[in-house]
Amino acid sequence: MKLKCAAACVLAMLILVAAVIVAAPGASYANQDRESLLAPASTRHPAGTDALGRDRLVRVSAALLLSLAGSVAASAVTTAAAAGVGALAAFGPATVGWTAMLLCDVFLALPWLFLLMMVRSALPLTTSPANSAAITFLVLAALGWPACARAVYRGALSLKTTEWMLYARAGGLRGGQIVRSVIPNLVPLLLPQFLISIPAFVMAEANLGALGLGVGEPLPSWGGMLLELDNSAMLFDTRWVYFPVALLVIVLLLLEAVAGEA
Amino acid sequence: MKPAVSVAAWLARTLAIVLLVITGSTLLVRCAPGYLSDAREMDARYADAARGELNAEAARSGSLPHLLFSEVGGWMRGDAGLSRQYGVPVFELIRPRLAVTGRLLLRALILAWSLALCAALLSSASRSPSLFWHTPAALLLAMPTAAMATLCLLTDHGGPVLVMALLLAARDFKFLHHALRRAWLDPHVLQARAQGIRMRRILVAHILPAAAQQLSALLSLSIVTALSALVPVEVIFNVPGLGQLAWNAAMNRDLPVLLAATMIMAIAVTFAGMASDRHSGWRNA
Repeated sequence: MKLKCAAACVLAMLILVAAVIVAAPGASYANQDRESLLAPASTRHPAGTDALGRDRLVRVSAALLLSLAGSVAASAVTTAAAAGVGALAAFGPATVGWTAMLLCDVFLALPWLFLLMMVRSALPLTTSPANSAAITFLVLAALGWPACARAVYRGALSLKTTEWMLYARAGGLRGGQIVRSVIPNLVPLLLPQFLISIPAFVMAEANLGALGLGVGEPLPSWGGMLLELDNSAMLFDTRWVYFPVALLVIVLLLLEAVAGEA
Repeated sequence: MKPAVSVAAWLARTLAIVLLVITGSTLLVRCAPGYLSDAREMDARYADAARGELNAEAARSGSLPHLLFSEVGGWMRGDAGLSRQYGVPVFELIRPRLAVTGRLLLRALILAWSLALCAALLSSASRSPSLFWHTPAALLLAMPTAAMATLCLLTDHGGPVLVMALLLAARDFKFLHHALRRAWLDPHVLQARAQGIRMRRILVAHILPAAAQQLSALLSLSIVTALSALVPVEVIFNVPGLGQLAWNAAMNRDLPVLLAATMIMAIAVTFAGMASDRHSGWRNA
């Protein structure tokens, strides 16, 4: 518990610092300083600049905020969908339950990275960076719900046989009313699922971006910054290229600690 | 249920899932907003009339029934359609790469399971959970595959097998540790240890059989994880496998190739999951 609290505090501090850096007057992730391309750390650019002269610290901070916001939103969508499908499968007619679980099996059988690549590559050529970010996280959310829905289904099934549920049904509560009273009882199951999905989505976005199929430029993303590592000439010029990777690993460790995974 | 009926039901469910996966993937690709886009649309050398003709041709060949028919027909003929990028049957591209990917996956899985099982046996048998085992596992799990592969390449240490094995071992270790730890804490195992029965005997007679069901489920999970790591690893290490082909197809909008690669992966995952379920069912029976 202490570890979780400490991790949550450090994470909150990181987010705060990133927000301050991004909101600082004159700071922009797209601003180019043409006279200092690939510059090392200085007072003007505390973490140096990238190959286009953009401030690395501002870009990393913006990537942190974007990635976390997108992952939290995707995780919320995933958890809500899983709660709906799981509860419907458990409390609906047997055919609905069977169909929902078959659908879960189908989604679980789909290799998510290949599917993400497929959907991303089938986007229009003129997709804007903001849309590409939204679509990336939306697809992650659309593919993330089945495992969570299975867990919810099992939890809801065990709730279905509890004594208070039998009383509720005997008392004449309708299906919708029952589901409304079941959802709060599923929160202890849904909350960990929500928290576990966040680092998974951050990681997925980073891996997708590193393949050049994630969030479009000039929007900053972890994956986009991992691409910098491909440029070996840049690695000899400045060690600050490793900064985004190091921060990403720290953020993922913190997220996993908060989710109780570490 | 009789074993023959049970196996038939399992086979029917597996086939139904495979069919649904194929139909679902095709639908998903067709419904993607840019399916009909063509790189030539961006080329200023094409006149408006030529672009219009390209769009009309794409719409004709991209209608859903046509797409499903050509996809299923391609699979029935055994070539899985024609690659947009190379203009050759998709299976001609996939066949030599399947062996490369299969070898990589097999080596990585064997190494990962050996590492994870050894580490989990040692960590689960100790009296208190040790940071010595859990810290590296947590660190490896927090490292994106692409970053790990790039760093290995830059430092000239380790290859694709090692990167995939480390990633899988970290994930498997976590599950194996919990499964084995639970088995070590069973009252009859504690009793056996208190009586001074040799560790090797306890391990073979009690620990491993108790965890066997979870191990078979974990194997299918390992395959899914390995398939997810396959693309970045093959792309970064330049391994001519299925993952690299799929990435290349994604970058060049060669959807028939990407669709075929996805389906092969989906079929592999389905059979691995179903085989693991079947194995658990038989053990329970």
